Amino acid sequence: MGLLNPRNLAYLASLALLVAIYLRARAKPTLEVSSLMLFDEVAAPVASSRVLRTDPMFWLELAALGALSMALAGLYIRSAEAAAHHRTRALIFDLGAAMGAREANGTRLDEARRQALEIVAAARPGDNFSVIGYALEATVYRAPTSHLADVRRTIDGLKPAALPARAAAMRAALMRARGAPEIDLFTDHAPASGLLNLAGAGTRVHLHRVGTPAVNLAIVALEPGTVGASPGRVVVRNFSDRPQICEIALDLDAQSVLSTIIMLEPRGQAVLPFGPLKHGGVVQARIVTADALDADNRRWALALNDKPDRALVMSPSPEARDDLARVLLAVNQNLIVTAVDPVKFNLATAPRYRLAVLEDAYDPGIKASARLIIYPPPWLERSPPPSWQLPVVGTVAMAEMQERTNGEQLDEPLALSPARILSLPRWMDVMAHGTGAGSGGSFPLAAFGYDARGAMGMIAFSVNDHLLLDPDKLEALVLTVDMVKRLLAPQDLQVVSTGDSVSVPAIGVARIVAPDGSVSTARADEMGRVRLRPIEAGRYEVSSARTRAVIYANYYDAGESDLSAAPPAPAPSAPGASATASSSAAAAATRVEPIAPWLVAFALAAMLLGSALLTRKAMRWRARDV
Amino acid sequence: MLEARAFEPDFLRRLDGLVLGVQRSRTVREGRRALGRVQGLGIEPESFKEYTEGDDLRFMDWNAFARLDDLMIRTFRTEREIEVTILVDASASMSVPREDDKLGFALALAASLAYVAMASNDAVRLGAFSTARGGAARLETSALHRRRETYPAFQPFVSAVRTGGATQMTEAMGRLLLERRPAGTIVLISDFLVSAAEYEQALRSLLRARHEVKVIHVLGDRESTASYPPGHYRVRDSETGEMCEVTLGAMAAETCRRRVERLAADLAAFCAANRIVYARAFGASHFDDIVMREFPRLGLVR
Repeated sequence: MGLLNPRNLAYLASLALLVAIYLRARAKPTLEVSSLMLFDEVAAPVASSRVLRTDPMFWLELAALGALSMALAGLYIRSAEAAAHHRTRALIFDLGAAMGAREANGTRLDEARRQALEIVAAARPGDNFSVIGYALEATVYRAPTSHLADVRRTIDGLKPAALPARAAAMRAALMRARGAPEIDLFTDHAPASGLLNLAGAGTRVHLHRVGTPAVNLAIVALEPGTVGASPGRVVVRNFSDRPQICEIALDLDAQSVLSTIIMLEPRGQAVLPFGPLKHGGVVQARIVTADALDADNRRWALALNDKPDRALVMSPSPEARDDLARVLLAVNQNLIVTAVDPVKFNLATAPRYRLAVLEDAYDPGIKASARLIIYPPPWLERSPPPSWQLPVVGTVAMAEMQERTNGEQLDEPLALSPARILSLPRWMDVMAHGTGAGSGGSFPLAAFGYDARGAMGMIAFSVNDHLLLDPDKLEALVLTVDMVKRLLAPQDLQVVSTGDSVSVPAIGVARIVAPDGSVSTARADEMGRVRLRPIEAGRYEVSSARTRAVIYANYYDAGESDLSAAPPAPAPSAPGASATASSSAAAAATRVEPIAPWLVAFALAAMLLGSALLTRKAMRWRARDV
Repeated sequence: MLEARAFEPDFLRRLDGLVLGVQRSRTVREGRRALGRVQGLGIEPESFKEYTEGDDLRFMDWNAFARLDDLMIRTFRTEREIEVTILVDASASMSVPREDDKLGFALALAASLAYVAMASNDAVRLGAFSTARGGAARLETSALHRRRETYPAFQPFVSAVRTGGATQMTEAMGRLLLERRPAGTIVLISDFLVSAAEYEQALRSLLRARHEVKVIHVLGDRESTASYPPGHYRVRDSETGEMCEVTLGAMAAETCRRRVERLAADLAAFCAANRIVYARAFGASHFDDIVMREFPRLGLVR
């Protein structure tokens, strides 16, 4: 027997109030009379000094209030589970990057693994275990099984990803484990308040906090600058509460550009300029100093060559043309931008462009390595549309951007100008979702993909009225810049963030070599692309019959990289949750049964009985005294 | 306060037709007082008697002497001025129960009777007796007023009466008699919540001084009907401070009512035996009825 919310025992103070009310009601008032002669013959009271004489109403109210207070305090009883009943436990592992942080005896995941294996070792025959991991999303690695050897193998096979452990993923993992009466959650981060309640009533969540404070340095950003023009910079951050020495090395295509040692102040960051670079290529920054987490010690960036490229901006709006040209030049100063009205564009004399940006205009068949379609008009011609024309389903007068890539919700929805609702081909990946009045749900606001003609981006909202230069709508500009960067990036050499969906050209079966050297294969789709989602920081190589592509995956997350936070005192928030493996092991043979419903039912019955007594008393008074 | 009712013009107009029921004519008898005897000075002949030495020659019936040759003295009924004293019990018991306003009720009755008494241009005064701080009886009386025009002069006295202390009726009457006023009419208004011996001794002392005594027994609505809310109480005597515990209910109320009736009956029996007019005035809510109907019925006023 115990209490789930002992603080609610404060409601028992109402009992003292009830007693005080009754004592006061029972106290004899003093009646001043002209003379006691008038009361000479009145009989003395029978029970003048009994303080706690039997009063059914008082005891009924006392019982009702007590029962309600205990219900609020969450009184529960522990009962031994039937011996024949096999338990099911879900083992949920945080597989975020921080779980790969090194400690004295291996990584944090190793410690979690050790604790989990102890639980499995203490299991009785017939007990079921499921193994669930989460980082960017929740994955069931092992469905509930009583084959403990499989469970052990699965636990041993878990690896941390270079991804942040998202709260939504933890929520999804808890939801997936809902069928299990007991859940063991292994993480190095304190779950958000109330998150463990998602496990559901009657489910015990044992929170196992692993990890000790550790020193970590991380490369926050790497900007290569413009080749031959502007310097680049690398930003390094110290997540320790003490000053740290940091040795930084910077390479351009395996040639050293910078190597320096700096002192980082506690929880400070430093910006190191370098360059300008003499030529384009892959820039790699790395922290040479050893720290707890490797994933955020390397970062890659692509420095575009200073070779001038042609870019076309086509829009009926001069303002939009001007804004888009500015964005293109901001991304790459070496572009030669041609801005033109669609009605004046001559396809016959047009050269081949590195990038063509079409705003509110049809694509007449422009020769370009990459195309960005913005606010495409619906096809109104009588002739059938060309194959590259994106079919427009509808238009909304005003759209709101709800989430960006990776499913991250924006803090506040971003109000945009009119937008088209498009039916996207399967080879395009959505980069942003939005909603609009009358759209009946969310629709893609931005997408990217490769077709037979090359890279293709789509932005569904209009950029008129200087939308891209509006400081209140910075997300629209960021989205556009990201899109342009992806379009200008070479197909066979990409720098992405871990967790991003990447598409590379391939023919037939492609061989994928991960940063840790593991090899896997994937079959190219009908568009000749292979898709993958890097979950490790480092270099991926995708090779097929006649193609070869290299992908550099960067990882950095401010919350995940901060390893200095000490695990606080365990504070289980789920009903009956315990905090440590040891306590959960001790409680393993018992089952918690809240008895609040029974207490409430008892209180209701007491109130009903009290009402009946009152009614009877009132009827009797009316007959005799009133 | 109810005493203000006795000074309302509408109420006083209704009293205009009433007169105090007093024995106005009284024979002047020879008594033990040999000196300073007072011959009746009225105009209504009462009797004749033989002349004796010392009789006032002004009352000699010379016609009878001429016919009978006897010296005869003519005697007359005296038409006296009656001095009316209306005494109100101002002991602590008269202020309890507070909602009954017993003192106000008694003062209103006293003032009303004073107004009625002034119809005959009799000398009227009001008095109140209570107990002073030292425990001695205290008697306060107003000045004598005769004409109704001076009736409002009673109002300051009535307003100034405050209750306090125990009922010392015998001692208060003793103080009154020490004033050695001529025998007159004394109206005593009290709740008579004292022992029978106390009020009997007080009333007898007044009778012995040849006063015509009238008694008005005042009780409040609540205490006369014992209409207390049911429950357990500690009951405190307002005069002595004594306490006892009682449980009030329907039965107890009935017992209290019976007790009140018995006290009133004892007082009425004593008054009847001693030719004292006894009037019961229970409940201030019946003030008008008591003054306009009950008092005339009992002969207190006519």
